[in-house]
Amino acid sequence: MKKHLVLLISVFVMVPVFAQQFGRQYDTEQPRVRFATLPVYIDSGNQHLAAYQFELKAVSGQIKIVGVEGGEHPAFVDAPYYDSAALANDRIIIAAFNTGQDLPTGQTRIATIHLQIVGDTEPKYQLELSVAGDENGREISAEITFEKEI
Amino acid sequence: MKKSKTLFIVFCIIVSFLLTTTLLLSSCQRTKEQSRSTADRDKLKLERIYNETNGGTSAPITISGSGPSPTVSGTTNHSITTEQLNEEQMKEQLRKNILSDGVSFYDRKGAIEYAFDGTVTEDDILKFKAGKTGEISQETLDKISAAYGSGYGRNAGDASSDAYGGDMMGGFGGRGAARGGFGGMSVSRDLYNFSAPSQPLSFERQRRAANTFNVMPARPSSSQPVNIPDELLNISADEIWIIAKVDTSRPVVNDDTPGSGAMLAKLPKEEKEIPLPLKHTDVKGQICGYIATVEVTQQFHNPYSEKIEAVYVFPLPQNAAVNEFIMIVGDRKIRGIIRERQEAEQIYEQARNQGYTASLLTQERPNIFTQKVANIEPSKEIDVNIKYFNILAYVDGWYEFVFPMVVGPRYNPPGYTDGVGAVAHGRTGISGQKTEVQYLKPNERSGHDISLAVVIDAGVAIEELECPSHVITNSKASAEKRTVKLSSLDSIPNKDFVLRYKVAGKKVKSALVTHRDERGGFFSLMLYPPENLKSLKRAPMEMIFVLDCSGSMNGKPIEKAKDAITRALKQLQPNDTFQVIRFSNNASQLGPKPIPATAENIRKGLKYVEELQGNGGTQMIEGIKAALDFEHDAERFRLVSFMTDGYIGNESEILEAVHQRLGSSRIFSFGVGSSVNRYLLDRLAMLGKGAVAYIGLDESAGEIVDSFYERISHPALTDVTIDWGNMEVTDVYPATIPDLFVGRPIIITGRFNGDRNTRIRVAGKVGSDDQVFDIPVDLNDATAEHNGIACVWARKQIETLANRATYDSSSDLPGQIRTVALEYGLMSSYTAFIAVDSSRQTAGDHGVTVNVPVPVPYGVRYDTTVQE
Repeated sequence: MKKHLVLLISVFVMVPVFAQQFGRQYDTEQPRVRFATLPVYIDSGNQHLAAYQFELKAVSGQIKIVGVEGGEHPAFVDAPYYDSAALANDRIIIAAFNTGQDLPTGQTRIATIHLQIVGDTEPKYQLELSVAGDENGREISAEITFEKEI
Repeated sequence: MKKSKTLFIVFCIIVSFLLTTTLLLSSCQRTKEQSRSTADRDKLKLERIYNETNGGTSAPITISGSGPSPTVSGTTNHSITTEQLNEEQMKEQLRKNILSDGVSFYDRKGAIEYAFDGTVTEDDILKFKAGKTGEISQETLDKISAAYGSGYGRNAGDASSDAYGGDMMGGFGGRGAARGGFGGMSVSRDLYNFSAPSQPLSFERQRRAANTFNVMPARPSSSQPVNIPDELLNISADEIWIIAKVDTSRPVVNDDTPGSGAMLAKLPKEEKEIPLPLKHTDVKGQICGYIATVEVTQQFHNPYSEKIEAVYVFPLPQNAAVNEFIMIVGDRKIRGIIRERQEAEQIYEQARNQGYTASLLTQERPNIFTQKVANIEPSKEIDVNIKYFNILAYVDGWYEFVFPMVVGPRYNPPGYTDGVGAVAHGRTGISGQKTEVQYLKPNERSGHDISLAVVIDAGVAIEELECPSHVITNSKASAEKRTVKLSSLDSIPNKDFVLRYKVAGKKVKSALVTHRDERGGFFSLMLYPPENLKSLKRAPMEMIFVLDCSGSMNGKPIEKAKDAITRALKQLQPNDTFQVIRFSNNASQLGPKPIPATAENIRKGLKYVEELQGNGGTQMIEGIKAALDFEHDAERFRLVSFMTDGYIGNESEILEAVHQRLGSSRIFSFGVGSSVNRYLLDRLAMLGKGAVAYIGLDESAGEIVDSFYERISHPALTDVTIDWGNMEVTDVYPATIPDLFVGRPIIITGRFNGDRNTRIRVAGKVGSDDQVFDIPVDLNDATAEHNGIACVWARKQIETLANRATYDSSSDLPGQIRTVALEYGLMSSYTAFIAVDSSRQTAGDHGVTVNVPVPVPYGVRYDTTVQE
């Protein structure tokens, strides 16, 4: 009888304590959500940049693309297009072109990606330039970079 | 002994379990609350209290943001403030609320002190509310009666049923005689204006509410002088919670000149009257062949002194393939992203709550959309640009471009909650429907106007052009090209814009339009009926006319519909039979079964039609049953003509009923009105294997009925099959080719492979005779290329899946729709566009939500259609 009582009292005391701990843990596990921008630049050296296509994805961390904005040069100021089919696979493929005469050279911001970042893990991005072209439709060598918001 | 020991153990385990559960729940709640600031806790508390006092009968509210004016989300039209006030501020706030007909809730201690100068105790109030008036002094009883109303001093059960059993229409702080009460507690109809829950609260709930709150008397009437007793203002507390109705009173502006007026509304704390947030809509259309590319720009601005969220419910064509969405913030353009609807809504909420400017586009029906724009700062503008493709209707050599400008007020059958509610401006949440449109009163004007321009490149000479709905200007660039602009004199968006043009010859230049990309080839084919049908005569008919006699049809629409039926009855042939069915709340008909079209019977029919009036609800299902649920005369071709504005919210139920009952009938739907539900009418005709026609309020019903009779006075090509020749065709929509009627080509879209010229062979039956004809096609014709065809095809696939979903719940049709919509970047019921400007967080909370009210469509009566 004594044994049973001790056991029951233990249950009375321990279970609520565990329950409280569990409750606390449950509550603090809600992921943090924040928003950030990711400006993307292409440096085409001294050649005119008339067209580009690049692919972006997060190799770690959880991001959601929530908007795509144009760049700084008038030739690329309009919001570029993205491939909606690619978006379904957690990546985004963005492309734009301009057939005008006023085209940028050197480094220029070609787009800004608006992101939602879920959780505390700082995302790591993989950015790949698929192609860049000049006003004659020729492929040109160029470098793509992004700037991380601090 | 052993038994009692076991029982004791079981008892202990149960107690332990209950204790554990309680602790677990309270722990979760507590830790949640602990993670919030004091202000947040206040809001949480207020949220809970408010929702509780609403009896859980309306959608709960949430309160978020910081500062003295937290934002309230949910179905309430009350402003809520949680403030830490000093005594002077509190008095001032209290005075303001009383003066503005508001209602204030305070904590229990304060309330009793405020209302009764400390001489009445909580216990006295509880006794009074429980009907135990003998247990309190006469002086106390008088005070409580004066404040709470003499109707209260009965037992609690009576109070509850009396307060709620009757008229529950009272609005929170509504002017005039407030009806209903607060938890049965205070039913002083002259002094108090309360938000009445739609169902009685339980007594326990009343007690809880009463224990938590008290209510301050509001101003008896706005026109009477206010005498606020000093003791009422003699208050002391360190916290005050105020729930007051937003003052929706607004002066009616001069609306003599269309478009010049401005809808004025007032937000709490605003001192001047100001217009509403949707300023202007700009529509630019480009028609190439039979495909229109349309860009719609909605210009939102914030004329208030605090941040707002704008919400606008608007229409687009029912076959619009919406594939682009851009939010414009100053000079910056942010392309919206297509996402699963739930995910997009969640992102929007998170962005909104964190102060980011964001916009969300959702689809409520294929032709009804909701635009939300969050965190518009005072005096700032946000534009939203939407792009879509759609295929024009083509009838008897005329193309028709339609741009709907306003959502018509829908009727939702009792018990239905997934509809589209039509409510008066400022009456958020009263319809109980998932989507709500707020309407302006007939003497009110919105500052919102519309500009519209359409450039037509027909490819062949345009012979005639007309706009039966609006005043336009029309400039001719060449024989094939025209530019049409809406006149600024006709810029009130209260009816569909309808533009028709007739091209040279009987057929379009390129019946087959294609597009190729990395996904493969897509095509759209306009399939014409064979020419020889015109020389053949039709079989006898069983004509069933079904007339919508609901309140929304009252006035001009029903007169037009009656004109149409009258004309049609006079054109029946002696070997035809006919029936006339009317429906509103129920259905009734000319006779028990169709009657021969003799001169005498037609006179009877005409008299019956003449006496019909519009009134009541739109129980279309009754009309469907009456029209399709009787035995078919095998000797005759049964043709059912629905004459309606289609203003219902339960479209899917109606379409399912038609699918189940159709049999060998054909449905010809006639949309009657200035802004009809084209989605419903098109689908009725499509499911009914017939056709659709629209009768505008300023159009001749006779002409439209004549052309209808011209069409049905010849046999249709039925059992149509197509041999695609060298085109390797897949995924064709519609999968079953409908009957081909004279003057009514149909559009077929699909995917294909191959690039050689070929010949498409179409076969079918006219009566019992076989018919075959060929269509030569050039798959390399560059002039027949259109990059919108892939979207048009995907939209058609979504439409087909959605139609199937109205009667087939066995397969994962929503999942299939979602997949197609995401792959092609298209709007659907299951996808949405989201755009967030994450470059800048605006200060403070997200402000109040302002719904953009719209006018009722031209010719539609506000009083018979809008819930107030």
